[in-house]
Amino acid sequence: MGNAAVEAPVAAPPDAPRRGTARQEAQSVLLLGSVFVIATCGLIYELIAGTLASYLLGDSVTQFSTIIGAYLFSMGVGSWLSRYLGGPLLKWFIRLEILVGLVGGFSAPLLFVLFEYVASFRLILYALVGLTGILVGLEIPLLMRILENRFEFKDLVSKVFTVDYIGALLASLIFPLVLVPQLGLMRTALLFGALNVVVAAVALYRFPETRPYRRSFAGLMAAALLALAVTFGYAGRIQRYTETLAFQDQVIYAKSTIYQRIVLTKNQRELRLFLNGNLQFSSRDEYRYHEALVHPAMQALPQARRVLVLGGGDGLAVRELLKYPHLTQIRLVDLDGGMTDLFRQNELLTALNQQSLRNPRVEVINGDAYQWVRQDTTRYDCLIVDFPDPANYSIGKLYSAAFYQELHRLLAPGGKLVVQSTSPYVARQSFWCIAHTLRAAGFHTIPYHCYVPSFGEWGYVLAGENGHWRPDAGPLPPGLRYVTPVTIRQMLDFPPDMAEVPTDINQLNNQALVRYFEEDWGPYAQ
Amino acid sequence: MMPPSSSPPLPPDDLSRRQFLARTGAGVAGLLLGPGVLLESCSPADSATRHIRGGLRGPDHAVGHLLRTPGRLPAPSQELSTDILIVGGGVAGLAARRELARQGHAPLLLELEARPGGNSASGQSAVSAYPWGAHYLPVPDERNHELLAFLRESGVITGFDAASGLPVYNEYHLCHDPEERLLLHGHWQQGLVPEVGVPAADREQMARFFKLVDGLKHARGTDGRDAFAIPLDQSSADPQFRRLDQLTFAAYLDQHGFTSPYLRWYLDYGCRDDYGATAAQVSAWAGLHYFAARKGRAHNATASDVLTWPEGNGFLAEQLRGQGTGTILSHTVACQLRETPQGVEVLAYDATARRTMRIRARQVLLAIPQFVAQHLLSGVAGAPVAAQPLQHAPWLVANLTVTELPQGQGQPLCWDNVGYGGASVGYVNANHQQLAQYADGPKVITLYWPLTDAPPAQARREAYQTTYSEWLPRILAELEYLHPGATPFVQRVEAWVWGHGMVAPTPGYLWGPERAALSRPVRQRIFFAHSDYSGMSIFEEAFYQGLRAAHAMVVPV
Repeated sequence: MGNAAVEAPVAAPPDAPRRGTARQEAQSVLLLGSVFVIATCGLIYELIAGTLASYLLGDSVTQFSTIIGAYLFSMGVGSWLSRYLGGPLLKWFIRLEILVGLVGGFSAPLLFVLFEYVASFRLILYALVGLTGILVGLEIPLLMRILENRFEFKDLVSKVFTVDYIGALLASLIFPLVLVPQLGLMRTALLFGALNVVVAAVALYRFPETRPYRRSFAGLMAAALLALAVTFGYAGRIQRYTETLAFQDQVIYAKSTIYQRIVLTKNQRELRLFLNGNLQFSSRDEYRYHEALVHPAMQALPQARRVLVLGGGDGLAVRELLKYPHLTQIRLVDLDGGMTDLFRQNELLTALNQQSLRNPRVEVINGDAYQWVRQDTTRYDCLIVDFPDPANYSIGKLYSAAFYQELHRLLAPGGKLVVQSTSPYVARQSFWCIAHTLRAAGFHTIPYHCYVPSFGEWGYVLAGENGHWRPDAGPLPPGLRYVTPVTIRQMLDFPPDMAEVPTDINQLNNQALVRYFEEDWGPYAQ
Repeated sequence: MMPPSSSPPLPPDDLSRRQFLARTGAGVAGLLLGPGVLLESCSPADSATRHIRGGLRGPDHAVGHLLRTPGRLPAPSQELSTDILIVGGGVAGLAARRELARQGHAPLLLELEARPGGNSASGQSAVSAYPWGAHYLPVPDERNHELLAFLRESGVITGFDAASGLPVYNEYHLCHDPEERLLLHGHWQQGLVPEVGVPAADREQMARFFKLVDGLKHARGTDGRDAFAIPLDQSSADPQFRRLDQLTFAAYLDQHGFTSPYLRWYLDYGCRDDYGATAAQVSAWAGLHYFAARKGRAHNATASDVLTWPEGNGFLAEQLRGQGTGTILSHTVACQLRETPQGVEVLAYDATARRTMRIRARQVLLAIPQFVAQHLLSGVAGAPVAAQPLQHAPWLVANLTVTELPQGQGQPLCWDNVGYGGASVGYVNANHQQLAQYADGPKVITLYWPLTDAPPAQARREAYQTTYSEWLPRILAELEYLHPGATPFVQRVEAWVWGHGMVAPTPGYLWGPERAALSRPVRQRIFFAHSDYSGMSIFEEAFYQGLRAAHAMVVPV
């Protein structure tokens, strides 16, 4: 691999005129400038991969550490591979810059889009990190070989690495302070991809020896820049398309089960759970929601032994139920094993539900609630129905008169049933439709509501065979932060803006509730 | 869509399907079918559809054809005698059997297929049960007491509202919402009547049409009967309505200025859906009956609601079977019938045991299509003969197992999903009545395709000649029309050709003299029950025909 012969066009001939030397110096400065830019770009890609991994996969320490390791190792591989590059080195360099620009530039958009659709996302992430690392690792050795005859070795090494590390410093400062807040990850990647292509363009036009292949490369570069620019223009749309960045806080856990997408976010004050992008709870005020869901019914059932919880795979309603020592069996039926496993295993979450799903009194069943209820013959003293809001026809069936009739069959004499019933303020028709449907299924109903800051006004319907119920029927368990006999009494009052409205009954053959829900929440979805 | 008739159809002509295929060979068949088919069968689409499993099914021709060649039967090796023999286990035969059981009889029933049910045949896979034919029953008229009693006994009606006296239907059997959607102008709209993007003039015509049929719904004749009723024999004899049976529905619409292409598409769709024939083929009386006869009332449903089950009307057929008594011999075909001094004698072939049996009965009920009955009666003096063959519509029904369906814009997946201007009349989601919280998993969809592009006899001949590998691309093209990009998600495609899917109510048949004459009993020995004798292949008519025959049989001579 005759280096000297190959690099002859770059090396200055001994009898070159002075003008040639000045020009050579300008070229050297240009090449050192390129080192600076590509060093900045290289670190930016690394930071983007690390940030993306912790955004999308959670656990930032592990993600950052493994991404940096993989990236640096791949750079090593690239440096080692550089020895196999022969022929006109400048041509190689131009090729390489275009490639780095494209791979690095499209890395973030690609990862965001693929995250939703690819089962083995990690594999793709590390493959992309590896590829970028190898390409970036080729850059500096190649440039050093191009510059090798222009400087003495000690100068060369000192200059190249100085500029390289300054570039890294710049990247590490502007990335968190300017780029992420101003441009976001996707646009940042695309912008720096374009910079790599610009480096290639400068090299192409400032070195005379590139003349023979200028035309073919110019087209390629224009196409690359155009692709990067167009994607830059559409970055907002792509970002909206990928829900992941819709979360204002850091994503610490994200998983797509076959049923839904579970995302957990965290900031200094709270932990939030999203299912398919819909907020399920915030650790800051979930106690209000769950205390209001469980205690108004339970305080009136001092003899209760058996409870069935439908939905509520987070174990937070179960946590409240476990405060009643007289309960002997709490059965939870939740569709998604991914959800109940998460709330049995994740330490942040088991701290929140106080290990409720591991309690020996609790039996967790992963199954379809409707199917389960139809075949169940147990009689329960209390039924806690905590399904997602009736936003689609499948879930709407779990709020139907037919379903409530099945629940009626499962209720022990004197037992109570409580249904989370969406917001009576925002979704007034939906709330009262649920109450009326329960009534049509033969229940005596007691609608109530409370204020949960994360959700706003939230509603529940307490139902039983008869109206025997008092807000101060029995002792409440110690340590409640929200529910007292006084708050229960307040929860029963509906001001005029949430007062009862006439509605249809939600039946399987009319799905009235899903239609109300769309009408009620539609204006808020805009 | 495809409502029931009883016993499975047989190929029409002198040649059996197998014989025909053997004689012509695939190449000739291809030429007959035209270049489009040749292109399809040779197209490279094979690689895109290689992952799809399935096959072509149909009524048991091999056994059915023995009817044509009774001379080839083995000598009878078994003698049976029964008071009443029923030939054909479709809805009419099963309804008669159930009614006879209520009168204390236990008739013997012969069924060509493995299971009775006729057009209400159904299948079952790991994903869902699914229909092979008729798949719904509109909420019936509450004056149809016999049908209501059957539904009550079947648990479809759970009780009667104390205040109104109206039936309360089992919510699990009422078609769940959302019921219907139409792909129009690239957008799925709610309901099947074209609305989105339809010009005002067309809407005005539609409003006028629906006002007209609403008037007919409540109209009564001079005899005090409803102008249009189910069973249709209960309809008024007033000539001002019966006259409508003399012209085609298309001619009637032309006369009344109903020219809107959207309206005409919708009405044509309705005729194809219910009768397997176009508005230009059925009578105006039949076309209007589709809209004006459905006046069911219920405590918890409306006249436009329907009852449906994953297995379609297979559910009702099974209920009918369970509510009757008496032996059912399956895979058995009646090949010859003759009168004896004591009653009738039937030679029947049991395809499983491969033997012929001689069955003596006091009375026989032929609950089979009219043209099959006529064949069986060729040696019986005074048996009714049709002046010309009734028109029977050929159908293709395909059950597709899909892991998912790429959804377009608009209304989400419904029970009934139809494409405006499509060749088929759309598909039904067999998993629709499931109560699962998570509904995005694999499902079975049933595509219904009345073959109305050619006259029935020709369409039937072509359908019998078409192989599975030729049907598959056509079925997938129809699916892609509704759901672009769906082919990769298709796991199985099972197709079923109904050569004589259902009788078409062509002009003059419903209220002409022939219909009543064809079903008139012969010497109180031979009786007839089939939706062919109603002229409309719907569950209510087949049920009514069965009841009518059963009542006639138990009346002492």
